[in-house]
Amino acid sequence: MDYPRYHRDIVSDLLDGKFVLATDAKFVELKNNADFYGKFFKESFDYYLVIKTEYAFIISEETMETLSRDICIFLGVLCYELDKEGKNFLDEIQYAEFDLEIIDNLFDNSSYTDLIQNNNQLKNSDNRKQFLGTLNRRNIIDRNSDKKFTFTPAYREFMEFAKNFAKGRLQQNSIEEEA
Amino acid sequence: MRTEPRTIINFLSNYFDVVKDLFDIQMKDGLIKTEELKQILTHYESDIENKLIEYKFLKKISDDYEIRPVYFKFLEFILSEFKPLLPETIEKYEHSITALFKKIKEGISKDRNILLQRITDLNNEVRDFTDAVEKNTIRLISETKELKSNVDKIDYREKVRKASFWIDYYIKPLNTILDVSHSQSITNRLLDISQYINIRRLNFDDEMARQQFEKLYTFLVQTNDDLLRQSKILTNELLPLIERIRSESLILTGWIEFLKNPDKSELPFITKTYRKSPQSNNPYHNALEYVEQFLQSNEVYLNESEDAMSEKWIFNKDFYLDKLKKDLPEPNFFEWAGKTLRTEYKSVETEKFFSLTTLLFEDDIELEFDTKTDRQVIRTTEMNLRVPKIKVKRHGLS
Repeated sequence: MDYPRYHRDIVSDLLDGKFVLATDAKFVELKNNADFYGKFFKESFDYYLVIKTEYAFIISEETMETLSRDICIFLGVLCYELDKEGKNFLDEIQYAEFDLEIIDNLFDNSSYTDLIQNNNQLKNSDNRKQFLGTLNRRNIIDRNSDKKFTFTPAYREFMEFAKNFAKGRLQQNSIEEEA
Repeated sequence: MRTEPRTIINFLSNYFDVVKDLFDIQMKDGLIKTEELKQILTHYESDIENKLIEYKFLKKISDDYEIRPVYFKFLEFILSEFKPLLPETIEKYEHSITALFKKIKEGISKDRNILLQRITDLNNEVRDFTDAVEKNTIRLISETKELKSNVDKIDYREKVRKASFWIDYYIKPLNTILDVSHSQSITNRLLDISQYINIRRLNFDDEMARQQFEKLYTFLVQTNDDLLRQSKILTNELLPLIERIRSESLILTGWIEFLKNPDKSELPFITKTYRKSPQSNNPYHNALEYVEQFLQSNEVYLNESEDAMSEKWIFNKDFYLDKLKKDLPEPNFFEWAGKTLRTEYKSVETEKFFSLTTLLFEDDIELEFDTKTDRQVIRTTEMNLRVPKIKVKRHGLS
């Protein structure tokens, strides 16, 4: 049986929890063999393969996983604080280059103090720096230097989550009102 | 007979849903009507009305009920949901704090026990004040986030009306109380007090009172930081509320709702790193390598490396400054620095060279520097440095 090109790298990256981005040659190969890989990950690991226009990744329904919660808190606070500063947070996340100092400033002066202080990944500058390292390894951000980074299109997955979360809440509220 | 405290706590925990619903009603209406109590008890199929009274959780007021203040405050605290206090309620602390401070100053050399009691009372009063401010800020932030998130889908006009209400009646007056640039603010009063206490904690004769002053001073310093933080939140987040609610975004609504309780929310699933631990195809050699490392019994000596020695070098500024002054006027400073180090150490280490460079910033020497002349190269052990030619002369002399 012939395996697709970059097979080992594709499997290894996805199992490392990385987002495979559309700018990566592996993405084309993954997309062209979507059925094969979908089945491969489901049968071998009980993971689901998700392929979107700009990125691909695998999901597991493991409940003990805390990284996605930390990413959501990080992005949630960041969007809230950028909006508070009168910026268009979506434009900023899509196009701007972030500096660790800017992040520190936003997080240290945020009114979500309790949430930030109680989160080991985000509670201080050093931990946030390490956390950004994790995001970089997972291809959610692109580190341009030790302190500067931009977001990769993978951030859209989390924005989509926020949008659906809001829809769920709005729906829940209107059901309660009707009742 | 007094009820065992643990029984009460267990009771509150077992019937927390009932307790929370009663708390919500009192938070909204100020009291709980009998029919509302019955409705909640029927809903949860809990026949605990007598217990609620026996454990002194509820107090009957005419035909209605009220959660006793001590439980109400406890629930406010653990739920982080506070009833907003009108700023005039907070302002009353200014009078009590000022009065106590005045008494402390007047009675500073009178009865020691009374003085100690007053210091403790002042501490408590300041604590109550900061608690009240913090509770109000938490509540105001939560209200404003609610407006920004707008899950109730209220229209823009209504949003502006609500925002104006919070700003006019709560946010602006609270800001005046905290504003350090406002001479009558309590924050300023606390600063005056802390200055006075600072002196007393250092020079008061009685040791016990000194300790109490010290404790109060530390607390006031911390309070000052807390109040500054609250004031910053008010100015940055709450005062511009009307401006902020102008825009709405479904994504932001999602984040605000999610951040209310991230631990209990559903999450997007992304996979954990998959650990690969296959068996080695060469277990014998791997095991041998592992064991062999413990079989070596050669003695190991550690010598301090030359690098480590050079790390200990401490720049004796006075020595080199004297040397430079003796050699003045010096037509080329960097050449002098290189020559000095070479004579002393046979080589020019970058760190030492840079240390010597700091002499250029000394007050009593004067520099002359021609931008047009070419730069020269000084070789150090790690790099080649291109440096300008700087003439050094003694202040006022050439």
